[in-house]
This record gives sequence, structure tokens and C-alpha cells, in this order.
Amino acid sequence: MENDIFLRSLDLFKEAFPGRINQILKSKEEGKKIIGTLCLYVPDEIIYASGADRVILCGGKSAPIPAAEEYLPRNICPLIKSSFGSVIDQKCSKTKSCPHFGLVDLIIAEATCDGKKKMYELLNQYIPTHVMDLPQKPENQNALEYYIKELESLNDVLEKLTGNKITDVKLRNEIKSANETRKLLRALYELRKRDSPPIRGTEMLKVLQQMHFLSPDKFRKNLVLLLDELKVKKRENSGPRIMISGCPMASGNTKVPEIIENQGGLIVVEESCTGTRAFWDLVDENKEPMRAIAERYLKIPCACMYPNDRRIDQIIELARDFNVDGVVYYTLQFCHGYNVEKYRVAEALKKSGIPLLSIETDYSGADNEQIKTRVDAFLEMLE
Amino acid sequence: MISIGIDAGAATTKAVVLHENEIAGYAIIPTGFDFRKAGEAAYREVLSKSGMDETKVGKILATGYGRSIIGFADKTISEITAHARGVGYLIPAAHTIIDIGGQDSKVIITENGKVVDFLMNDRCAAGTGKFLEYTAKALEISLDELGMLAQVSKNPAKISSMCTVFAESEVISLRAQKTKKEDIAAGLIESIILRTTAMVKKLRIKPEVAFVGGVAKNPGVVKAFEKALDTEMQLPEEPQITGALGAALLI
Repeated sequence: MENDIFLRSLDLFKEAFPGRINQILKSKEEGKKIIGTLCLYVPDEIIYASGADRVILCGGKSAPIPAAEEYLPRNICPLIKSSFGSVIDQKCSKTKSCPHFGLVDLIIAEATCDGKKKMYELLNQYIPTHVMDLPQKPENQNALEYYIKELESLNDVLEKLTGNKITDVKLRNEIKSANETRKLLRALYELRKRDSPPIRGTEMLKVLQQMHFLSPDKFRKNLVLLLDELKVKKRENSGPRIMISGCPMASGNTKVPEIIENQGGLIVVEESCTGTRAFWDLVDENKEPMRAIAERYLKIPCACMYPNDRRIDQIIELARDFNVDGVVYYTLQFCHGYNVEKYRVAEALKKSGIPLLSIETDYSGADNEQIKTRVDAFLEMLE
Repeated sequence: MISIGIDAGAATTKAVVLHENEIAGYAIIPTGFDFRKAGEAAYREVLSKSGMDETKVGKILATGYGRSIIGFADKTISEITAHARGVGYLIPAAHTIIDIGGQDSKVIITENGKVVDFLMNDRCAAGTGKFLEYTAKALEISLDELGMLAQVSKNPAKISSMCTVFAESEVISLRAQKTKKEDIAAGLIESIILRTTAMVKKLRIKPEVAFVGGVAKNPGVVKAFEKALDTEMQLPEEPQITGALGAALLI
């Protein structure tokens, strides 16, 4: 059941957005460069150490999709279409909801899935785009060295753009503050392991989505306030304990978690880019900074990697640690990586006796009622 | 006291009256546009059919796609849980349930009358009653005729389009190639079977297999299913009411 004790700090995340846009506008006028990214494999630490600012451009809304479909095939994932549409559709970048798309000087993209890679070729025609390569077999002997080389190129690109030198001191400072944020998020997730977690999945998702927009300092400050507030307010939530596992839920996309929690479920953990993948591991502060960054980021268990047993192991581990009753495997339509990997995740969950419901969907509301039926049946099954 | 289960389906609304744990009557009516109106009509019809007085009505439980709109119900439950309960009551030996309705198809695996796993195809008309309805139209025959015709086919046509709209145009081109009507009919049924058996195989069959929903009334489909799954299908006397029955039982 829902617990309605008001959390002021949750609103602070939302309210910070307009101020953030003004701040970016102002700092851009003062000559600061704005970087757009679309993936967790692009290390924030290097961007901030160059003196640039960054926003995440992953689209979670359906409105920009028709504009994108003038260029992209229809049967490609909605995240790719929405992101591309938001950049090219001038109407969108001039609206209040996503003005940041029009402010970006350079996009740092990455070679994850094929859909994104090819989209970046088109995106480059609108905003200069630098694509980082990724070693897609991260366990290979030379994978780490290769990734470090890509990070060094990124280093050069950013130094050239900003005119600033990225020093080890600056990198270490950024690593330190990014680790602080990661620790705070780990502390928040720790609270969700309780029998009656004080925060719901839909609330947590909106917090993590603000990580895409807010400055790291503001985000961290708000996290501290949230943790403080959760310590004093006796909030309790109950319901079948659900883990979400799968594709990212970019800002604007809260569809499936909302259905799950409206129908009586309680999301206690998300194995997702808007979940554990965003903050789980720390960067080793004792090592040489670029190498330490590379080691941490290469651990992210994205479905574009091969082999990806580490993701399956982590899902089982999280399910146990968070005492999960059932897993909702969430995928975006046409996301081949996560859709194919579903089979092996399902096998592993079956072996561990953890029920699974799989939902493949897009950003439209066309299948809301169908998803509701499945979620109802799944929750009834878990009770 | 009697309990009433109402299954507000996309194509038909079903109601069952349960009296002392026995079916006292049932009603099946077309849903039309308004789920609520259809629910009320099915409620009145099932009362008059079972000869029960409204004052005796205890609780009403609604299931099906339009369940949340049946405002006079005391509670709602998903059709997956409802079918599992209804089939469990009628065919206790069944552990795999295939339900093909007007809008969706689902496969449910049960253990001791409880759902342990399920899969649904509900995003498009492929592999549902709608698929047969539309494509029968392209053959200019009724649904019943489609099932009958299919059984005499010796050489079922290959229908490769899963999509209902494309299958319809595929039927038209097969007609232009002078393919026999019965072969096209058999091909259409095979295509729906193919789609659903893939779902069944994903979950792995646990005998016995029960087949319910409107499409289970089509003998052509039943025969083709038994062949594809190499197992005998258990059919309730009235395959359309297991959801409503389950709802009445779950009160």
C-alpha cells in the first residue's frame, strides 16, 4: 500500500530543472561548452574535468518520434527515435520541456548498439558528434587498454573544444565527487532492502532521471536532503516486491513502473541504466585516474557486450539482496540486445525459483490496458 | 446466496451464476462498444436464464479486458487467474491452458489450481479470433464454414504473413492463383496454430492441455492443434465461460 507522507526533497529534484536550464544558458554565454551524451559508457568525470558542462540527451517522450521517422526506420527502438527527434525538431528544442537539446555544442556518442551507431551518423549532420568506440568483448586481454586509448582520444577532443587542460588533479576531484554521488545512491538503495521501504520505485526513477539534467553538485545536494528526510519521516510501503530489469527509462518514460505500482506492486530495485548500472561501482581513487575510470566504466553490464554473464549474475544477486518476489523484464520494442538476452536471464531466474514477467513496449499508451492485465495477473500470481 | 462472475471480453461478455458451488446458468452476449452496458445485459440475462432472483445475489466479481468498467462488481481479477480457476474446476487434470479469444491469446501453466507462469499475445490480432474472422471474410465464408472446409483440405496453402492485414491480401493473391478454398482455409488455421504453439512450447507443456475461449469452438482449429502439439485437447462443454466461472468461484 502507498504511504503518502510528503517528501519535500522529491519536489526539489523536479523544481531544480528550470533553474538548471537558466544556469546552462548563462554559462554558455560566458563561453562554457555544453556536451550532450546518450550513454553511461561515456565518463562524466572527463567531461567535467575539461570545464565543460553536460546534459544527457536520451529521449523518453513519444512526441518527437514522428519527426524522427522522416529519417529513421519505424522499426527501431523508441529511445533512438525520441532522442534523434528531440535534436532535429526545432519545435522541440524551443519548447520549455526540452530546451537543452538546442544548447549542445558537441555530442559525445558511443558505439553500443547498431541502431544508435547509425543514428549518430545522421545526428552528426545537425550537431558535431564524436563517437567513442567500445571494446564489445570486455573480458578480452586488451579490452581495457583499448578503452583507455578511446578515453585518451576523448580527452584530446574535449581539450581542443574547451581550450582547457584536463589535469590529473581535476580528474581526481571529479572522481571524488562522482563517487560521493554513487555512495549516496547506494545508501538510498540500501533503504529499499527493508521490509517496508520508505521510497517507491516510481519516486526513485524520477530522482534518477534528474541525474540526466541536473549539475552533479545540485543532484548530490538534493540526494543528501532526501536521505535526511527519509531518516526522520516514517514512511512505509508494501506490496509484492518487484525488480525491474532491462532497458533504460529515459526522462518522460515512467509508463511501466507506474502501472506496476498503481496495480499494487512495489518496485524495490532497478537493474537498468536508470538504476543500478548508473552508479553501482566506484572508481578506484588510489589508481592512476584514467585507468581507474576505464576499469569502472567497462564493468557496466550492458546487453551490447559479449559475453555478458556478469549481468545475469548481478540480476540474481540483486534479486536475493533486495528480497525480490518477482522480476519484470522490461524491454523497448526492437531493442535486440536486451530482447535476446531475456532468454538467458529467464533461464537463470527459473533456476533460482524467481518468477518473471516480460514486457516489451514503446512510449505510446496503446498497450496500457494489456500491460495492466499482465501485471495484475503477475501480482495475483505472486500473492 | 449466489455469486456471479462477469467476463467483460473484447468481443463477447460472459456471465456465470454459481449456486452452492454449481453452475446454475450462464449467458454469452456480444460486447459491442460499451463494456458496462454489455456487463449489465449479461447480468440480467444470466439471472433470468438461471431463474434466480436478484435479491439472492451475494457478490459479483468482474474479469476480462473491460473489468474495471463493470462498476457494479465488488472486485476485479485478471482473466489469467480467472481462467486458471475456472478450468481447474471443470477439468482438474489440466495444467496447461490455451485460451484464444477475440482479441488476444494466452497460455497459462498451473500447479494445484494456481498460476505459475503465463504468456500473452495481446499486441496484435495475429493468432487470435480476429485473425480468423478477417481472413474468413476474404474467403467470403463464415467462421464455421472455415473450420469445416479446412478439415477436408489435403494440401494446406502456406500463409506466411503473421499480420492479419497482410494475410488478408495473401488470401486474395492465393485466390487469384486458383488455390482451392479448403486449402486456403486450412492454411489460415495452420498459421494461427503456428503462432500459438510457439507460445506453448516456450512455456513447455504440462499435461493435460485444456483449450478454451471462443476459438476453441471451431473444430477445425481444435483438430489442427491436436496434430501440432501431438496431444489431445480437453475442451469444456462451453469453452467460452471459464473466465466468468473462475471469477464467480474466486469470490
